[in-house]
Amino acid sequence: MRSALGVRRPGARSPSPSSLLARPDSALEVVAGESARSDPGGGGPCPRHEPVTERGAEREAAVAEECEKEAVCVIMCASVKYNIRGPALIPRMKTKHRIYYITLFSIVLLGLIATGMFQFWPHSIESSNDWNVEKRSVRDVPVVRLPADSPIPERGDLSCRMHTCFDVYRCGFNPKNKIKVYIYALKKYVDDFGVPVSNTISREYNELLTAISDSDYYTDDINRACLFVPSIDVLNQNTLRIKETAQALAQLSRWDRGTNHLLFNMLPGGPPDYNTALDVPRDRALLAGGGFSTWTYRQGYDVSIPVYSPLSAEVDLPEKGPGPRRYFLISSQVGLHPEYREDLEALQVKHGESVLVLDKCTNLSEGGLSIRKRCHKHQVFDYPQVLQEATFCVVLRGARLGQAMLSDVLQAGCVPVVIADSYILPFSEVLDWKRASVVVPEEKMSDVYSILQSIPQRQIEEMQRQARWFWEAYFQSIKAIALATLQIINDRIYPYAAISYEEWNDPPAVKWGSVSNPLFLPLIPPQSQGFTAIVLTYDRVESLFRVITEVSKVPSLSKLLVVWNNQNKNPPEDSLWPKIRVPLKVVRTAENKLSNRFFPYDEIETEAVLAIDDDIIMLTSDELQFGYEVWREFPDRLVGYPGRLHLWDHEMNKWKYESEWTNEVSMVLTGAAFYHKYFNYLYTYKMPGDIKNWVDAHMNCEDIAMNFLVANVTGKAVIKVTPRKKFKCPECTAIDGLSLDQTHMVERWENSDQEPGLVSQTLTLWQTGPAFPLS
Amino acid sequence: MQSWRRRKSLWLALSASWLLLVLLGGFSLLRLALPPRPRPGAPQGWPRWLDAELLQSFSQAGELPEDAASPQAPHGGSCNWGACFDTSKCRGDGLKVFVYPASGPISETHHRILASIEGSRFHTFSPAGACLLLLLSLDAQTGECSSMPLQWNRGRNHLVLRLHPAPCPKTFQLGQAMVAEASPTVDSFRPGFDVALPFLPEAHPLRGGAPGQLQQHSPQPGIALLALEEERGGWRTADTGSSACPWDARCEQDPGPGQTQHGETLPNATFCLISGHRPEAASRFLQALQAGCIPVLLSPRWELPFSEVIDWTKAAIVADERLPLQVLAALQEMSPARVLALRQQTQFLWDAYFSSVEKVIHTTLEVIQDRIFGTSAHPSLLWNSPPGALLALSTFSTSPQDFPFYHLQQGSRPEGRFSALIWVGPPGQPPLKLIQAVAGSQHCAQILVLWSNERPLPSSWPETAMPLTVIDGRRKVSDRFFPYSTIRTDAILSLDARSSLSTSEVDFAFVVWQSFPERMVGFLTSSHFWDEAHGGWGYTAERTNEFSMVLTTAAFYHRYYHTLFTHSLPKALRTLADEAPTCVDVLMNFLVAAVTKLPPIKVPYGKQRQEAAPLASGGPGPRPKPQAPAPDCVNQIAAAFGHMPLLSSRLRLDPVLFKDPVSVQRKKYRSLEKP
Repeated sequence: MRSALGVRRPGARSPSPSSLLARPDSALEVVAGESARSDPGGGGPCPRHEPVTERGAEREAAVAEECEKEAVCVIMCASVKYNIRGPALIPRMKTKHRIYYITLFSIVLLGLIATGMFQFWPHSIESSNDWNVEKRSVRDVPVVRLPADSPIPERGDLSCRMHTCFDVYRCGFNPKNKIKVYIYALKKYVDDFGVPVSNTISREYNELLTAISDSDYYTDDINRACLFVPSIDVLNQNTLRIKETAQALAQLSRWDRGTNHLLFNMLPGGPPDYNTALDVPRDRALLAGGGFSTWTYRQGYDVSIPVYSPLSAEVDLPEKGPGPRRYFLISSQVGLHPEYREDLEALQVKHGESVLVLDKCTNLSEGGLSIRKRCHKHQVFDYPQVLQEATFCVVLRGARLGQAMLSDVLQAGCVPVVIADSYILPFSEVLDWKRASVVVPEEKMSDVYSILQSIPQRQIEEMQRQARWFWEAYFQSIKAIALATLQIINDRIYPYAAISYEEWNDPPAVKWGSVSNPLFLPLIPPQSQGFTAIVLTYDRVESLFRVITEVSKVPSLSKLLVVWNNQNKNPPEDSLWPKIRVPLKVVRTAENKLSNRFFPYDEIETEAVLAIDDDIIMLTSDELQFGYEVWREFPDRLVGYPGRLHLWDHEMNKWKYESEWTNEVSMVLTGAAFYHKYFNYLYTYKMPGDIKNWVDAHMNCEDIAMNFLVANVTGKAVIKVTPRKKFKCPECTAIDGLSLDQTHMVERWENSDQEPGLVSQTLTLWQTGPAFPLS
Repeated sequence: MQSWRRRKSLWLALSASWLLLVLLGGFSLLRLALPPRPRPGAPQGWPRWLDAELLQSFSQAGELPEDAASPQAPHGGSCNWGACFDTSKCRGDGLKVFVYPASGPISETHHRILASIEGSRFHTFSPAGACLLLLLSLDAQTGECSSMPLQWNRGRNHLVLRLHPAPCPKTFQLGQAMVAEASPTVDSFRPGFDVALPFLPEAHPLRGGAPGQLQQHSPQPGIALLALEEERGGWRTADTGSSACPWDARCEQDPGPGQTQHGETLPNATFCLISGHRPEAASRFLQALQAGCIPVLLSPRWELPFSEVIDWTKAAIVADERLPLQVLAALQEMSPARVLALRQQTQFLWDAYFSSVEKVIHTTLEVIQDRIFGTSAHPSLLWNSPPGALLALSTFSTSPQDFPFYHLQQGSRPEGRFSALIWVGPPGQPPLKLIQAVAGSQHCAQILVLWSNERPLPSSWPETAMPLTVIDGRRKVSDRFFPYSTIRTDAILSLDARSSLSTSEVDFAFVVWQSFPERMVGFLTSSHFWDEAHGGWGYTAERTNEFSMVLTTAAFYHRYYHTLFTHSLPKALRTLADEAPTCVDVLMNFLVAAVTKLPPIKVPYGKQRQEAAPLASGGPGPRPKPQAPAPDCVNQIAAAFGHMPLLSSRLRLDPVLFKDPVSVQRKKYRSLEKP
């Protein structure tokens, strides 16, 4: 801290505060706090002030706090220093002056703190993004008058499919495979008499449009858009006038019979018959609707969405672990049809305590909270908290098929028992509802209990987890609903870039733990295909020729590729190479890199690749042939001869690499190993982190990198083939000298973004030998 | 002087701090006072309304619940599963199918399809007890159409199966009957009610069927990217590098370097482009699938086969025909990883559901059974990854972890314990030594003795720490593979009372099994071969360089194979095994090989005992001498399977350090190498 105190030389008269700082040999003290703050080399954590618009608010708050701490410290240090050394430096200072100094100092400090406040406060409230957006009120939007005779779109075509009613030309070629969505500006529509057509916009629809506008899908260029979202709010059919809304839609600038227009509706139909789709005539427009039935849903065209439950945002239900709960089955809906209620109550009578049928509370004094309360006789329960007490929750059809309650049920991790014939469950195009819900036909309602009881406990727990995951991913907020809807439409337009079933449905825990082996098809490649041997060489020509001669004796060899890694020396002339029965190709590389061994050369025509060093001369052709046959039975593994083990060293608390004789093997050296050509592609293009560069820079550990790569993508162990002779090679003896690098390599892998733990699971305790000894 | 200097320094300090204040604070104050205009050219998002917090919710509180519910479900014109199928008849033993007998003479195909349904576990002879009544309308080409059957009942719980698109005049109203037909048009198809079948060619094999054509996982280098189907049959491979619009009629004048393959040959390309307009093109779809050529369907108007359960996005690409350039570019740029996955999936689907008429019919029934089962239906994973839903029975479990096939996908590992199941055949000696050897294994969880001979049960059993259960068998050989509920572990070590094993051998074999839970891991092997002289399959227990079967008298395998053996094999095969006991080994090996499409695994077995070979008897039969089962047995089973599923292996798995020149003390499985 002492170095941070600026002092001034007696003779200097610089007015600028910055010049005060550079003179460490002065006899006089200046205000310590100030100089400490502005000295960049002072070592304090408080940075200089600068415009901070793009900084995160939290970080600023933290910095502000640090600055204050430091300022306090400076005061203390200064006073300490003054007390001890003051009299010697400033002999004639009096008490009066001391007080004066301190007062002055505090004023300056206060000023600084105030400055800091000004600097930081406003930015922590508003993100920088907001500066770009105009601030207006919903009431100020332009008004559009709809003449009574303006055109009305046609009713809607039930036979619409993406290839008939959707104009893909608008989506065009797009390198990112993302549709572009345009949102019409908000307007207020009134009829001839000035009566508004509907509420201008609801809170949820505003959130929905905000979410789309903030997403990658959004474009503000109407000419580049592929999908158009009107800002006319049709979420709830009851709040709008059908004919006039349709007229408002028809006068949108790009309406064109509704082509490529997307409408969001959660509450369709109205009394008395409650249609299951929005009644507003909409022609070819896509409808994202909550509450479709099989008769109104256009498979592959419309999107079935959930009915958003406002409770999702209001109530925070912490996730409850799966397992048995107090009630087996609960029904908490109000306004059920009496017939259903009778059925449910009959269930309650039959099964007693484990079934709970709740209804509206009639005797509650405060009316406002009644939607958050449910009653059974005189017992009052909190809704939706009570749902967490039940394993299964009934979601019955009300007047509409889609129920907002489904969202509450999922949030509570309760397995929904959907009793609504012909209901199209939300996002059913991509979500596998069998994993999270039980669908029971209405006529089977009396059997519900026995149907549910036949489900094994383990499956119930799986369903509870899945239900909660569906809520978190697709129901939680209006934003989640909007983005999932757009993703579904996006996947239809760019099917080759579509999100897979697993990505939609597997909860994160499963996604992390699972391995999808890229070579999952059980297939034994025909022996006739043979293998390609790749010899990496630098300049050991003599030894190389011996290896080539030996390898060429293997019956299944189909091609030999020599990777000449020496740029300074030409490979020997053609006539000098050994004459062998298979094609021999020499590839000259541009740079001496170890990764050249694993490059997926076009010359490799077989699936099987034998990587062999130019000094591995002790393998007989029988052993190599056998190695190839072993590979055929395990085409997704590395099949090699000398094995290695990596171990977790508890004492050193890091990985170590073992080449000693042990009972386990986790790696094979790629100095002589068979593997699938696809792993060459993975090594060259899909290696995680900077491992490939690291290997090239250190000229080492390429075998560990390959072993780890294969173990990670396949989740399977290597195969060690027993050589008949003890394996001796110069490389293997050199291992000890290199072990430091090897350890680094293992750590590097651990630090890269790969899933941890997988590598360590792929130990094996076995090796392969011929089915019956050859001798 | 001093005070002047002090005052000056004070002023200086003061002015400096003010300067700082103004510099730091002023700017931000200024900005606070004057909010900047939005930069021109920046994207204009949806506005942040000042009064966004005041907006009303779309649904007013209380509005939803107040809606009076109507008891009538919304109704449409057509059927759906809930409305038109009565599942109450299916309670109990699940799907039972009654097939209407054909009236009048029937064709050979019809006869064989009938036979295949009758042999399946779904079939029943009584229409009253059936939950599904199946009406075959197969022989469309003969012009003969079936008439309205007796128990028609407006078509309720009926399935009309049309393997070939029928030009049949509608002699009766289909009513509430489900229709399973080849490539139905999207408009007439009722999702979740009808079943979409593949468009089968006339000569589709009834059983077994040709395996997929894919010989290797990744496409051969230099293979054509695209094959186009030709209207008159056959495929044309196109080089997409030059021609920009390979399937567009406008490009016809520029023939390009395309090649035409006529006739019935299968396409040899990475992708196969199939038009979505003509339903005949649907038959090409199956060809492409078999060839491992990834089908690219251009705006198909017909429903993809079994789309209810098969996730076609994993095996085919449905693209929009209006964007040819975009599709082409996407195909060219598709990552090798995706191509690899799609190719493999086409082969798996072909093999699992489409390669024979029998598989197509069984898949149809399985789809309907899944609808009836509801929550205990096959999870999607079981349908869409090997070995497929026909071989992974949902009656066994609905949790993928319980099966031996999905440990990798599920991130789970096989259980670390096994149950020893010892079959005591006719000599009837309690296998005391064997029990002790097995009980000594650290992985053993329980021992079950299946007492299957005439002699009474011995009263005393050896003292072991292991729980020992004795089951009194029914003296049938196939009892050995009955899914006893007392078996509590996934791994089973199946033993014969006369086997002799050491604890080391058991331990090591179990460790190997944990790496290959879907395969059989055995000690003694035999193999099959094609006998040219007799024109049939032969069987040998000789020691050759390869083997294709392990003897179940000492083998590890997954408990699931007991369920599969008992519930999915045709009755005829199990009867065969009971009649010729030596066949049971072969049958089990066939079953496991048909499921895994991989050979079994051999582990080392003590050398001396191997030569003495009390274990090498072909089966648990009463013969004291080792005896191979009748070669006829292999042929009969192969005929019933429709093909030869057995595969040969040439390797044996040894412990690491096995026979290596290091001290025995360092080896984990020492007794394996004892002479």
